[in-house]
Amino acid sequence: MSRKTDNDGGVASLPLPLLMGLSWLFPGLGHLLLGRRLRAGVFAGVIVVAFVVGILLRGELILPRQGDPLSVLAAIAALGNGCLFFLAKALGLGDGVVTAPGYEYGNTFLLTAGMMNLLLVLDVHDIAVGHKDF
Amino acid sequence: MDHFALLVLDAFLIAVFFTFLWKRDGKERWRYFWKVFAALALGAVVVGWLMYPFPRP
Repeated sequence: MSRKTDNDGGVASLPLPLLMGLSWLFPGLGHLLLGRRLRAGVFAGVIVVAFVVGILLRGELILPRQGDPLSVLAAIAALGNGCLFFLAKALGLGDGVVTAPGYEYGNTFLLTAGMMNLLLVLDVHDIAVGHKDF
Repeated sequence: MDHFALLVLDAFLIAVFFTFLWKRDGKERWRYFWKVFAALALGAVVVGWLMYPFPRP
């Protein structure tokens, strides 16, 4: 199946689930594969900057905790960062320092970065199935 | 960085993101960006002031 775009003539011939998976894994990649180069660059830049700031502020990449149902929602948002999440964990980052002055802000940046990336996955879906034409 | 600078940076990043997510044209994007940025940055200050009389126990 081939999907033509209106931006620069880019064509993504990948199955939709794979396209959405790649979009989640690498922020902006889904849009790049669909030919939305400018938007791909902007989205990748915004998400990476938000993620890095969150890590520098010693925020936490939250994982589900027993007895804390809200941590499941936070974990979904944190996992929304895709490869950035796994890269940070592999480097021993994102454990969070509760006593750090920037901890809460760091969490906010990390969670918003993840949520934005998840929204991008939905946007890639809408573009690919033709619900959105830009 | 102080808290206000971080607030402004977060508002900036989110405003850029939603501008490019939802708007197509340059002029439309600028208008929308400033609207979202102002709503987030000023809204946070207003909410902060509204919460001021109710400190955590």
